[in-house]
Amino acid sequence: MNKNKNTFKTPEGYFEKFSDTLLDKISDLKSDQEETILPKEDGFSIPDGYFGSLHANIKNRLDEEPSKVIALHGRPKFYYYAAAAVAAIVFLTIGIRTAINETPTFESLAKIEIEDYFESNDLGLSTYEIAEVIPVDDLEISDIVDNLLEYENIIDYLDDSIENFEELNLTDYEY
Amino acid sequence: MIVEETLVNELKQLETQAKAFEVLVNTYKERLYWHIRRIVLNHDDTDDVLQNTFIKVYKNIDNFNGESKLYSWMYRIATNEALTFLKKKSKKLKISDAELQDKMIDNLQADVYFEGDEIQLKLQKAVATLPEKQKLIFNMKYFEEMKYEEISDILDTTVGGLKASYHLAVKKVESFLKEY
Repeated sequence: MNKNKNTFKTPEGYFEKFSDTLLDKISDLKSDQEETILPKEDGFSIPDGYFGSLHANIKNRLDEEPSKVIALHGRPKFYYYAAAAVAAIVFLTIGIRTAINETPTFESLAKIEIEDYFESNDLGLSTYEIAEVIPVDDLEISDIVDNLLEYENIIDYLDDSIENFEELNLTDYEY
Repeated sequence: MIVEETLVNELKQLETQAKAFEVLVNTYKERLYWHIRRIVLNHDDTDDVLQNTFIKVYKNIDNFNGESKLYSWMYRIATNEALTFLKKKSKKLKISDAELQDKMIDNLQADVYFEGDEIQLKLQKAVATLPEKQKLIFNMKYFEEMKYEEISDILDTTVGGLKASYHLAVKKVESFLKEY
């Protein structure tokens, strides 16, 4: 008699699914334990009859908003051609005039657009990123400091703080 | 039980649209309400976000291609609407997301539509400390009792990743409750 011969069978894919089944059971077991620590209810409530009137409220809002359906087929094609022709003429006229009066450069256009963008959007830039964007040459001390120090205050400060003021070799003009 | 495919088809037809939309709202309003409420916490804000969600669903139903389930698509819209709402609110108040969360929790104590006791308030404080995605996963699994497969479809995350995130979230919430 062959002792090693296994006469038992397992369902198909049993061992492949075993670890997943076990993990799910452990997870369920943990969930049961969690109930003892975490409250199952969250404490939120709603006004009486809220859900009953919700559909009507949404419907009212949809009725107030302009319809999304635009009837394209009802209008004669002539109007589209006419509108396209008028738009083309206006576009060309403005384009030619602009070209005659002022030649826009990439720098001027880009600057205006970038400034508008910066003003209308809160970009949350770090000081490092701002330093990358704005060249140091364009900055004045007054852009950063609200109260400018008077020239005399600086000289007084240096006079008080430095033992030998003469060592600074300031010319007459400088003080 | 409504057949989702039939409902979607009816929503796309002009003559059946109104009735189908009513069915849609009545079928999903409560589930979506509680999903949004656990993100924005306050009833009035939830009402705004919920209405916006249904209006977006109504206006964009033609873009729904049926690749995911209708309710998964709606949950995604609701989640995005709620998170965008909070982002706008923090920007308007000129405070960080974390400061807004603190403010929302503080407001809960005076909210007439919050009837929670001390431990439930503490739970909300604990949940507020979780990162955004962990918070969503925790709420969906713990309170809404959704299956991992459903959450996976909505948040576009693997079931394994969700299990790990949920486990971490529970640990964090537990340790917060024990500590405070």
